[in-house]
Amino acid sequence: MIPSVSRRSLLAGAAALPFLRIAAARARTPGVLTFGLSSYPPSIQPWANTGTAAGTIKLAIYRGLLSYDAKGVLRGELAESWAAEGTTAWVFKLRNATFHNGDPVTSADVKWTIEQIADPKSSAYFRAEMQGVERVETPDDRTVRFVMKQPSATLPLWMASYHLPIMSRKSTSAQPIGAGPFVLKAQERGVAIELEAFPKYYKPGLPKLKGVRAVAYADENLRVAALQAGDVDLIEYVPWQSMEVISKDPKLNLDTVDGPFMYLVFNASKPPFNDARVRKAVGHAIKREEIVKAAFFGRGSPLAHLPIAEASAFFNAELKDGWNYDPALAKKLLAETGHPNGFSSGLLSTAQYGMHKDTAEIVQQNLAAVGVNLELNLPDWATRVALGNKGQFDLGVMGTATDSNDPDALANLIDDSLSPSYVRSFGLKAPRISALLKAGRAEFDAAKRKAIYKEMETLAIAEAPIVGLAWRSQGYATRKEVTGFKNLPGALTFHSGITLEEASVG
Amino acid sequence: MRGYAARRLLVALALIWVVVTFVFLAIHLVPGDPAELLLSQGGVAPDPGAVAELRQKLGLDRPILARYVEYVAGILHGDLGVSLRDEHSVADEIRLRLPRTLELIGVAAVLALVFGLPAGTWAALRAGGHADRALSVLSGIFLSVPVFVLGTIAILVFAQKLRWVSAGGFVAFERDPLQHLMLLAMPAGTIAVGLSAIVFRMTRSSVLEVLGRDYVRAAQAKGLTPRRIVLHHVVRTALIPVVTVLALHLGSLLGGTVLVEFVFNWPGLSGYLVSAVEARDYPEVIGIVLVISVLFVLLNLLVDLLYAVLDPRVRHG
Repeated sequence: MIPSVSRRSLLAGAAALPFLRIAAARARTPGVLTFGLSSYPPSIQPWANTGTAAGTIKLAIYRGLLSYDAKGVLRGELAESWAAEGTTAWVFKLRNATFHNGDPVTSADVKWTIEQIADPKSSAYFRAEMQGVERVETPDDRTVRFVMKQPSATLPLWMASYHLPIMSRKSTSAQPIGAGPFVLKAQERGVAIELEAFPKYYKPGLPKLKGVRAVAYADENLRVAALQAGDVDLIEYVPWQSMEVISKDPKLNLDTVDGPFMYLVFNASKPPFNDARVRKAVGHAIKREEIVKAAFFGRGSPLAHLPIAEASAFFNAELKDGWNYDPALAKKLLAETGHPNGFSSGLLSTAQYGMHKDTAEIVQQNLAAVGVNLELNLPDWATRVALGNKGQFDLGVMGTATDSNDPDALANLIDDSLSPSYVRSFGLKAPRISALLKAGRAEFDAAKRKAIYKEMETLAIAEAPIVGLAWRSQGYATRKEVTGFKNLPGALTFHSGITLEEASVG
Repeated sequence: MRGYAARRLLVALALIWVVVTFVFLAIHLVPGDPAELLLSQGGVAPDPGAVAELRQKLGLDRPILARYVEYVAGILHGDLGVSLRDEHSVADEIRLRLPRTLELIGVAAVLALVFGLPAGTWAALRAGGHADRALSVLSGIFLSVPVFVLGTIAILVFAQKLRWVSAGGFVAFERDPLQHLMLLAMPAGTIAVGLSAIVFRMTRSSVLEVLGRDYVRAAQAKGLTPRRIVLHHVVRTALIPVVTVLALHLGSLLGGTVLVEFVFNWPGLSGYLVSAVEARDYPEVIGIVLVISVLFVLLNLLVDLLYAVLDPRVRHG
């Protein structure tokens, strides 16, 4: 028998609902920051790349030898100092730090970490780089000496990556033990991750927060709604269409940098894109402002050269407009290569992400104006990656951020000696570019490095191993009560989780 | 009767096997490599050696037939395998998420019946009148508004303007029953809107049809009260097509609440299925589809039994 509910009691109950919210919906724990993630990390294994959301969690619970400060400058982390010895060795001096199990961080843990990453069975992001380490010497508990097979000026950059945290040698794959400011307390798979401050963290007074609750909001609009409603204190991947509203909201802060970027990759294993002049013609046919406007609601800027940020010491102002919009030049180059009336080809992108699709549509329109007719192929992301890796495309739209603001990070996109990948042009031959990249990696003198990378970019403008399209604004938004969290400049934006140790919520 | 049931069960099992085989082949034939995808997260290029190692570790380098035989053997032992992404048990995850989706669909169905049945009957008894027409127009609107539009409006009104509830999310019932129900109300209500319109329309036309039958006239001639005629003779008969249609819709909702789950951040089975497909997490995809198809078959069985309850001819025939 169902108990009878009178109409009056039902109405009374409904009327009471609004007053329950204070107790129920907005329950806050003082000192705990709620972080609205863009996706639930597929895994938080320390050394494998499993995405940027996982990166944020990794930056909260693990620490590497080095890291970046809020301005993007390299700083010591578990290492208090570091220096090159000649061109093939680096020495790191460790500070007094403690792993989450209470053990001190020693040189033996560093050696063990590097060995795990370089292991033939490893699936670590820096596997190839660490296989370039000939040996790790541990003269004492506080000193680590890396002896490299090749001169490696960029080793400190790798050590600052969130893919290279130092883990206790007592770690297991089920129980990783790091030395970060927070400890993993609980995981509700697919929903939320809870972190708790680590009381023995080696920086006195940090972390300022008692804990972090990271909740996954896959829908970008809901992520913004949750911030506006006060359910979360901080969100990542602020959708471009919401940036205006958030920046005008007196209760919210918006922090954006131009870090990630969109670009074009070519199938250079066959005509027409095996000809550098055709690739360069494509570069000159694009109206980049239209991409910024259509795909990013004006939140970004044109990118007509290699993705070296203006803030970087390696930025070359005179190459800034290397692939400027010049349809006459594009047509001239096409005519020179035997395509006076253009040609037809395919453009691979994905319908899964709006920015990839929107960018592809603008590229299609712009190239049609110089006679190049592109047929769009917009499969899901997984298929797009597979087609890219196998070279089953002509022209492709890509978007990414480099690993760091150092130009060596560009190698991932344009070094023709690397294996085929969807992030690079397929079957490209650019041996002079990869030779310069190699030289830059081996050069320790800052001025000489700058000259090498300038030559490299000049060459790249002519050979167009990829074509830059647009920087896109990458934003975090917080409630005004949140202080100390900072969006790191340029490519380091996805390293911003490092500042969670300084964050506090009022 | 027992022979009939046994035959039906065999057919159901064969059907499930066909579904599993088909999905197994289909997901493997679609381009995309789970190991490559996992290590490519965020648009980076993974080390090819790392990808090769991961493929070997996950068993992706083995022939598809060997994997198929192993998978079917696993199912027969009640083992659905582990996720390729984090080696989490697929069965555990389904056990966690299926009740959330069933709860969503169940509450939506109850809401749909509570509003749709009386409204449909009421409208049928006043067929052609103003109230009937107004309700028909309203149900047309309810049917045609996409759930993501309704959902977004609901979030805007109830979470952002009125601030009655959180902007989506999920809290386990045992952790906080009240908040659990409040968070359930919006997604369930959103699904119920379209569903109640369907129930309304089916009920209305079915009741109209039954009203014209001879035995209703006979009942009227016998002098039964209109209330008794409607409740005992009309609605009961008219319910059969309504139940059939509702059950079919509920079945398709098992894997089809993805938009609602997405809009309200409700961690149910549909959203899980989509993310598994996007990541090409083969064991997860097949496991979820298997469970959904089993439920679908069971639901149809249940409907047949309900017919027997509602219609004595089915029971005795």
